[in-house]
Amino acid sequence: MSGAGLRPAISVMTNDRVLFDNVSRFYGEVLGVNRVTLSIPPGITSLVGPNGSGKTTLMNLMAGLVRPTRGEIRVLGIAPDDPQRLCRALGYSTQFDSFPRGLTGHQLVTYFLRLFGFDQAKCDRLAGAAIERLRMGDAADRKVAGYSKGMRQRIKLAMAIAHDPRVLVLDEPLNGLDPLVRSETIALFRECAAQEKHVIVSSHVLHEVDQISDQVILLSNGYVVAEGQIQGVRGEIQEHPMQVLIRSSRPSLLASKMFEQDHVVEARLAEDGGAVLIKTRDADRFYRALNVLALDGIDIEGVMPADDNVNSVYEYLIGGEGSR
Amino acid sequence: MLSQIAAVMRLELKKSFFSRRGLWIYLLALGPALLYLIHAVDVTRDHEHRQALLASHPVSTEALHSIQPEMTKEQMEKLLGEPYLKNEYSGRRRRGQEGGQDFAIYRYTDGESDFTFFLVDGKVANVNEEDRCNLTKDSAIFATVFQFFYLRLAVFFGCVGIFTNLFRGEMLDKSLHFYLLAPMRREILLAGKYLAGLSAAVAIFTLGTALQIAALSWHFEPGQVATYLQGTGWHDIAAYLGVTALACAGYGSIFLAAGLLFRNPILPATVVMLWESINIFLPAALKKISVIFYLQALCPVVAAPEADTPALLRLLISSAEFPPAWVSIAGLTAVMLVVLGVAAARARRLEINYGTE
Repeated sequence: MSGAGLRPAISVMTNDRVLFDNVSRFYGEVLGVNRVTLSIPPGITSLVGPNGSGKTTLMNLMAGLVRPTRGEIRVLGIAPDDPQRLCRALGYSTQFDSFPRGLTGHQLVTYFLRLFGFDQAKCDRLAGAAIERLRMGDAADRKVAGYSKGMRQRIKLAMAIAHDPRVLVLDEPLNGLDPLVRSETIALFRECAAQEKHVIVSSHVLHEVDQISDQVILLSNGYVVAEGQIQGVRGEIQEHPMQVLIRSSRPSLLASKMFEQDHVVEARLAEDGGAVLIKTRDADRFYRALNVLALDGIDIEGVMPADDNVNSVYEYLIGGEGSR
Repeated sequence: MLSQIAAVMRLELKKSFFSRRGLWIYLLALGPALLYLIHAVDVTRDHEHRQALLASHPVSTEALHSIQPEMTKEQMEKLLGEPYLKNEYSGRRRRGQEGGQDFAIYRYTDGESDFTFFLVDGKVANVNEEDRCNLTKDSAIFATVFQFFYLRLAVFFGCVGIFTNLFRGEMLDKSLHFYLLAPMRREILLAGKYLAGLSAAVAIFTLGTALQIAALSWHFEPGQVATYLQGTGWHDIAAYLGVTALACAGYGSIFLAAGLLFRNPILPATVVMLWESINIFLPAALKKISVIFYLQALCPVVAAPEADTPALLRLLISSAEFPPAWVSIAGLTAVMLVVLGVAAARARRLEINYGTE
């Protein structure tokens, strides 16, 4: 199942996209991902799926840490087996929490930048800026070994953004962050996306995925089960009627009128008595009917889709196997 | 490129020198020097003891050398005086029967060597002269220890510890991705790690060699040492240090590759050790496919089999003509480059798959 935006012209290798062309990766006989074809545009893209669905494999493939068993990958036109070019364009915050021993946060980022061949002054400047951006200045001179989970997460993010890459690949980047830092980090992602960068995030926290993503890729058992903007993906799930919550001063009347429509399968009054939840099999006809009712004088205070979020789509497509 | 190699080396040197898991490498490298030091202290004390015995029982070296078998006890005592140690016992009395013999042991010293005279029925039967250590004797002992213990075991296992850890250790620590996410060729990473490991191994093990030589020569008179150095001394020392460095380079390349190619590098290390150990018994052609053969060829003193090596074992030991020094160095360099080439090819295909480590 695919939505708009993620799968145009996979055969055309564009230089502003992350492309997967029929990519499979097996670990011996164990499936990592299978027959993945994607074209990821700039913006925030979330990889969503339960444990073992292939999110990290997909990210490792993009970063060149593993190679495809079959198929081809291009990151902004660069092959992942060309680390000299790829790693200048891509920053990856992995799920691994191990670092070279005995280093402070500042040293860690600086030493990483030294591997790029930058001189010491430039490394210090870039490291300082990245650390400040993640609000880690106070802890920069402490040993990483003594960092909390959230601090380690932030120093990994600092390493990933320090060289100002055009593609950010972030494996569960919000894990372990407190609410304030979480919102600051999301703001950072939005800032990067606004600069036409790719921010590819994996997450288990579906309501956050909803908040931050321009598009999503849903994975299950190594397969891409859906991709695109979340509303587009939701619209293509025909077997589950679409749910819409309508706030009105006359919800009972609204419910009865709506139920007369043959595409409406359920109309239920909300518990607070001020709204009605409609389930319809045809969104277009539903909205036309709603307009007619409004013109007939039924007061409509608000209309809100109730299940075009990642959580619902995830539930419909994958079921309850993933962690939320 | 050079700045990237330097950056890798900077991180790796710290790990190679100061790893807590690597303390045993220092023990391997410096342990022999400690043994030589203990030996030097022992020899010095022994010399002082002999000088004290000479003062209380004065005798000249010439007089000691003039004693011949069949001389009587009285003749010997007339020439040498009282021994500092005399043990006499009678076979007749002990057995309580006719036909037994009387035995005696007389010991003298000229302050340098110990002389032991065995007497049977009042006549000299045997003379044993135990030399004090000398540089010729000690350099032969050093050559044997250096080639059979230091190179084959200490440097060998030290290199196993340092070089296999460069990649495999980081796989186990789950920290190798730190390097693989940097924009550098895998060959550069390999070169940086190898040079860091080599620098650490050379520094640790050549220091060990130098300390062994220093400890070994510590108890000799300064004049003796100066004479030795003016002769072949400096050349020998330079050769031993060079051989140590080459051993680190050769074994290092093998174990760096083993760390990349094998999940458990102990298995290939064991195979290489067995191969190097049986080198002495191999036919001449096979001997040349080893690191130790070329290293031994470069050693300034040949460590020959001990005089008391069983005849059957001597038969098994085959000899091969050692090649000239330049051939040995070129051979080792070639082995090293081939092995590093294989390692580089493996590094290019290296993947992060910590879950299976």
